[in-house]
Amino acid sequence: MAADELMPSHRSHRTPKSGPTARKKSELDKKKRGISVDKQKNLKAFGVKSVVHAKKAKHHAAEKEQKRLHLPKIDRNYGEAPPFVVVVQGPPGVGKSLVIKSLVKEFTKQNVPEVRGPITIVQGKQRRFQFVECPNDINAMVDCAKVADLALLVVDGSYGFEMETFEFLNIMQVHGFPRVMGVLTHLDKFNDVKKLRKTKHHLKHRFWTEIYHGAKLFYLSGLIHGKYTPREVHNLARFVIVIKPQPLTWRTAHPYVLVDRLEDVTPPEKVQMDKKCDRNITVFGYLRGCNFKKRMKVHIAGVGDFIVAGVTALTDPCPLPSAGKKKGLRDRDKLFYAPMSGIGDLVYDKDAVYININSHQVQYSKTDDGKGEPTNKGKGRDVGEDLVKSLQNTKYSVDEKLDKTFINFFGKKTSASSETKLKAEDAYHSLPEGSDSESQSGDDEEDIVGNESEMKQETEIHGGRLRRKAIFKTDLNEDDFEEADDLELDSYDPDTYDFEEADDAESDDNEVEDGGDDSASDSADGEPGDYQIDDKDSGNISQWKAPLKEIARKKNPNLMQIVYGASSLATPLINENHDISDDDESDDEDFFKPKGEQHKNLGGGLDVGYVNSEDCSKFVNYGYLKNWKEKEVCESIRDRFTTGDWSKAALRDKNLGTGGEGEDDELYGDFEDLETGEKHKSHENLESGANENEDEDAEVVERRLKKLARRAKFDAESNKSELEEDDNDKGDGNNPRSQADEPGYADKLKEAQEITKQRNELEYNDLDEETRIELAGFRTGTYLRLEIHNVPYEMVEFFDPCHPILVGGIGFGEDNVGYMQARLKKHRWHKKVLKTRDPIIVSIGWRRYQTIPVFAIEDRNGRHRMLKYTPEHMHCLASFWGPLVPPNTGFVAFQNLSNNQAGFRITATSVVLEFNHQARIVKKIKLVGTPCKIKKKTAFIKDMFTSDLEIARFEGSSVRTVSGIRGQVKKAGKNMLDNKAEEGIARCTFEDQIHMSDMVFLRAWTTVEVPQFYNPLTTALQPRDKTWNGMKTFGELRRELNIPIPVNKDSLYKAIERKQKKFNPLQIPKRLEKDLPFMSKPKNIPKRKRPSLEDKRAVIMEPKERKEHTIIQQFQLLQHHTMKKKKATDQKKRKEYEAEKAKNEEINKKRRREERRDRYREEDKQKKKTRRSLD
Amino acid sequence: MVMMKKMKGSQSFRQRLLLSTLSSTPISIDEIRADETIPGLRPHEVNLLRLLEIVTDDPVVDINETGTRLKYKPGTIVGGKNLVHSCSLSRSIGYYLEPLLLLGLFGKKPLSIRLKGITNDPRDASVDTFRSTTLNIIKRFGVPAEDLELKIEARGVAPNGGGEVLLTVPNIKTLSAVHWVEEGMVKKIRGTTFSTRVTSDFEHSMRFAARGIFNNLLPDVHIFQDHRAGAQAGKSPGYGISLAAETTTGCFISADTTVSCERPDETGELDVEKKERSPAEDTGVEVASWLLQEIEKGGVVDSTHQGLLFLLCALSEQDVSKVRVGTLSPYAVETLRNIKEFLGVKFAIKPDPLTGTVILKCTGSGLINLSRKLS
Repeated sequence: MAADELMPSHRSHRTPKSGPTARKKSELDKKKRGISVDKQKNLKAFGVKSVVHAKKAKHHAAEKEQKRLHLPKIDRNYGEAPPFVVVVQGPPGVGKSLVIKSLVKEFTKQNVPEVRGPITIVQGKQRRFQFVECPNDINAMVDCAKVADLALLVVDGSYGFEMETFEFLNIMQVHGFPRVMGVLTHLDKFNDVKKLRKTKHHLKHRFWTEIYHGAKLFYLSGLIHGKYTPREVHNLARFVIVIKPQPLTWRTAHPYVLVDRLEDVTPPEKVQMDKKCDRNITVFGYLRGCNFKKRMKVHIAGVGDFIVAGVTALTDPCPLPSAGKKKGLRDRDKLFYAPMSGIGDLVYDKDAVYININSHQVQYSKTDDGKGEPTNKGKGRDVGEDLVKSLQNTKYSVDEKLDKTFINFFGKKTSASSETKLKAEDAYHSLPEGSDSESQSGDDEEDIVGNESEMKQETEIHGGRLRRKAIFKTDLNEDDFEEADDLELDSYDPDTYDFEEADDAESDDNEVEDGGDDSASDSADGEPGDYQIDDKDSGNISQWKAPLKEIARKKNPNLMQIVYGASSLATPLINENHDISDDDESDDEDFFKPKGEQHKNLGGGLDVGYVNSEDCSKFVNYGYLKNWKEKEVCESIRDRFTTGDWSKAALRDKNLGTGGEGEDDELYGDFEDLETGEKHKSHENLESGANENEDEDAEVVERRLKKLARRAKFDAESNKSELEEDDNDKGDGNNPRSQADEPGYADKLKEAQEITKQRNELEYNDLDEETRIELAGFRTGTYLRLEIHNVPYEMVEFFDPCHPILVGGIGFGEDNVGYMQARLKKHRWHKKVLKTRDPIIVSIGWRRYQTIPVFAIEDRNGRHRMLKYTPEHMHCLASFWGPLVPPNTGFVAFQNLSNNQAGFRITATSVVLEFNHQARIVKKIKLVGTPCKIKKKTAFIKDMFTSDLEIARFEGSSVRTVSGIRGQVKKAGKNMLDNKAEEGIARCTFEDQIHMSDMVFLRAWTTVEVPQFYNPLTTALQPRDKTWNGMKTFGELRRELNIPIPVNKDSLYKAIERKQKKFNPLQIPKRLEKDLPFMSKPKNIPKRKRPSLEDKRAVIMEPKERKEHTIIQQFQLLQHHTMKKKKATDQKKRKEYEAEKAKNEEINKKRRREERRDRYREEDKQKKKTRRSLD
Repeated sequence: MVMMKKMKGSQSFRQRLLLSTLSSTPISIDEIRADETIPGLRPHEVNLLRLLEIVTDDPVVDINETGTRLKYKPGTIVGGKNLVHSCSLSRSIGYYLEPLLLLGLFGKKPLSIRLKGITNDPRDASVDTFRSTTLNIIKRFGVPAEDLELKIEARGVAPNGGGEVLLTVPNIKTLSAVHWVEEGMVKKIRGTTFSTRVTSDFEHSMRFAARGIFNNLLPDVHIFQDHRAGAQAGKSPGYGISLAAETTTGCFISADTTVSCERPDETGELDVEKKERSPAEDTGVEVASWLLQEIEKGGVVDSTHQGLLFLLCALSEQDVSKVRVGTLSPYAVETLRNIKEFLGVKFAIKPDPLTGTVILKCTGSGLINLSRKLS
């Protein structure tokens, strides 16, 4: 208290009573209380004037409301969501990497030396991010756009928008539009505040027109010590956090993995023998999109299609923190994982791991490199240190062995016998205790980095979890029995990792006990090494697991085995000790095994064995028929009829499962409390609630599901309304949605979907993990390891971690090729129109390939008429050949992928309408012929056809002369013609006789073949800086080979020369003339010698008339004169003006040239700088 | 580019073709009845291939000389109106309808096809059963009810057929998953009897006998009569009955049979040991007993429709379907295996010993109708 009194009293807060803040607050307050802000001056003006109008208005409002609604999309992500992908994109030199570095620093307090490949971080209890920097390469941009959940478009504010940004936006729009946010950098280059403000405003509005009005554009004002200001980064981070990604159609239907680690696992001998042999690779990453089934076909963007040889779920390298009561995220939970970036000084290369240790941070308590050769040799050390070091050295003799096993692990071979492993394990257990205690006691002021590097070193040997290992040994038994209860055995793969899972779970407990002092070791949690090391224990695992599995199998007699054959379960067991590749081969055999044989060795009661058995669905084998006429027999099924006991029947429906525990588990399994975001594990309430819940039935479950669904919906809605309030303050109370309380159609749909979702989550709860994966595939959000065989060596050779690798699953029928028809529009910014049959590069689905489109337009009669060029501002149809994708998939087309292209690279955007095997596109042809003989109305036409066979094809088709006389092709006219037999003369009849000088046309349609060509882009199989070269366009070829454009002389326009026709004077025969009527008779009047009186007579004007005439003449003269003068002055003026203009133009030109020169110089400098920075 | 799936034997021929077409995987089947006296494909199987050529676009069918090897590369399913197909007389129309119904759903255009041949046959489900039960099962999966229709224009029985049905199937985008475990209680039984080129007395006696069986259990039994004459009666004499029980939860359970003259064997001669034809009353009693036996077995569908149900579940959206069926029939087991092979969908099969039924769960393959045009 005394202290309080002593403290100077703070000035109390004064709420502003005027000014913009006060106004805003009062308005908000009024809105909250439901008081309309503006007073209505004229109440009558807004009253209901007419009932009809009011009704109409209501209708209109309702319609608008319905228009706003979208069909809800079901989100099939269950469990932990994979990290959001935040793609940071921008032209080179705008500060993309710095943005990522700052954000990572903001979230995890870690410094990233360089950004290579995805960086995964844990941000919150439910949220993880994966930052990806998009390189300045159109291929990478395409791949990034396909995986981004949020795109941060970094723009150099001092320079303005660049084409890359717009290209990226367009690509994203086509492949389903993820969330987008702009970030303006380099704003410190402005000295003038006004100019800065104007530029901001201008750029913001330009951004808005491109995305939507009100899109967020973030300003990073400038650098301080080479970093963005912490406050702004903090704000940006908050904006990134609140963004919710929306489900996009293509992505929710296809599983995909953004690879954050790639390893070459080809046997080294093979590589030694032939450097260019096909490689086996493993890729790692979070599964996104939808569930991934084993044996799925995948497409690696830029490489090609592959069948996945092996899939393994790994422990999450960056797990979300275990649910605790604490509100925030503890420091040790702020994990990060970036195997390719060198975060935490651990760099993954193609085939090695490098550990980067700063010499001044190395403490003597650890010997680096595992070789016992300390790096800090130069420093003086005393005897004690030396002693300790030597002691450590002796210890590490074991370690060296381990080192080898570590390397072996990367080759995915664990050959050492289990005994040696056990020994080795003992060694670890003894070691870490010591080192750990040292690290804690020895140096208090070790900073995180130092600690980390230490951990790293340990990581290499122990997987980063030192103390846990030690405890693990004692707790092992308890732990795996817990697991046994769960039956969550991940046993199909030899390199099983659930040992690590056990380790994990246990370590969490351990952490709780230990308190917060082990943050150092935890910071290494995200290290990739930590699950790898457990491989050594796999021998052990298989030992303790084998009996468990036996139990598991005995436990359920398993109808599934009878139906699907024992192989599904037995195979993994047998293969446990084999390599993955073996596993896979045997699977292959299994795959191709004729079904009959499989069944034969089954020999079960349900055997259908015989391969040629009759195909008959009807079940007729009833065997012995009961005598249903008897009352007793009937009574046995009495309860199956409405006449029976309803309660008994209800009981029958209720007992869904086998009854008892399994049933319970299923119904009251895991569920998520959506309000608190807590997850309740089934096992927690299993013991307590098992007995009570037994008598509840399906109805209750149904009700519960509904309740959950409703709650989820409510949550979603409340969130949305909050957002709306934040975004715009339009809600004046007359928003129809807020009034409508009764659930509409959309609400019902939403609820139904929520129920489905809940059901999907609950339904498999009673199954063990293995069966579950078998049935539903790997869930989204699992960290997967995909093994892919026979990948071209170039992929490994030219692997560049900066370029994202996208592995996308392929759906049914999407690996087939065929014709597709798309609605295409040339991009308005692309300068040229597209030409039919000029190859374009399309990015469609996961793929990128080059194909040859044929453009067409639909005529009014439904005919698809070929177009030579795309229309300028219109959609047209494009048919092309390629791997099929479902209708409604958007795609984007390019013509040139090179990075140094000046213009806009996106040539067209489009959407697939349908695919069919016969694309019918037609084009018009005109056959022209001339008559060679005319007989009344029949004419023989030559030059129209080349053979009689051709004529036979066109019999009956209509022809026409230029003058419009219509006719019909009859037959080949060879026989009818007297002159020598010539092929291709057709006999045609016309409605009137034609002339020999007439031309005859036949107009017809001919189908156009769409070329069966598609060429997948293999950009990942070549150096990334090289531009991919595919088929060239006509224009390019012409330019290269210097071939002029062929000119058809007949097609040139030229002036038509028409000779004046001279007609002879008309001669009328005497015989006719005398019969003509007088009117038409030529009048033969003889010539006069002298002119007649009328010709001779002079006309003299009256005096008055003469006067008038003179006046008029004078006026005309005057007029004429003034006009002449005016013209002269005009001309003079014009001349002056012209001279002035020319002068100005000259000056302008000079100025422009100067400007341009300056700009180019600047650009060149920039380019050089970026090049240097890239190097 | 796409690998061919290799298979052996003629078993589940229809399903293989159907699933191959739906998942657009080419297949090659070897050793089709290679060791039998008459090797190779049967007429109805070849006929089925012809039917596929009608409803799909550009399929490639390659049969070797002996007919023991078949290569099939599916085309896109187009459907369309006013299609006509005359089915082979060695199997009834039901044989063709089963795959055709599913194919039609995933077509580019709604399918409307006229099938000619044998409408009722003891080996396959009769067209009456299709009308009463099968279509109702399909409707459960989110197929618009009004467009799915089967019209019996004329009836025809073995051996000469002469029947004609008109099938209309709408095309859909996806099938929705079902949660269908409540069998409910049988609330009514409906049925149809028919007779062609014989007196309708047979029908009377069948109805009477069948009703007699149900009398103990349910009053709401109604069996309709459908006597055909003239052109509508086809070319051969015969009679038959089809019964369907509807439960309170909308499940349909059916049983049917047909009595007609024997058809000649493949070798050309009539069956050596001719089965003695039982009187019509016995037929009625038999079918009624079958129906009761099916009801006793439990499940939301009868044994005949189990396969179809599983197929529909496997083809549905990527949600969990849960169904309850009675004892698994051999055909259903075969279906499950085929589904796993083609669609990669595996069912969790769990017996429910209390009721003697089996509960199956699966996640649908999420097959979308790829060929449907974007409107």
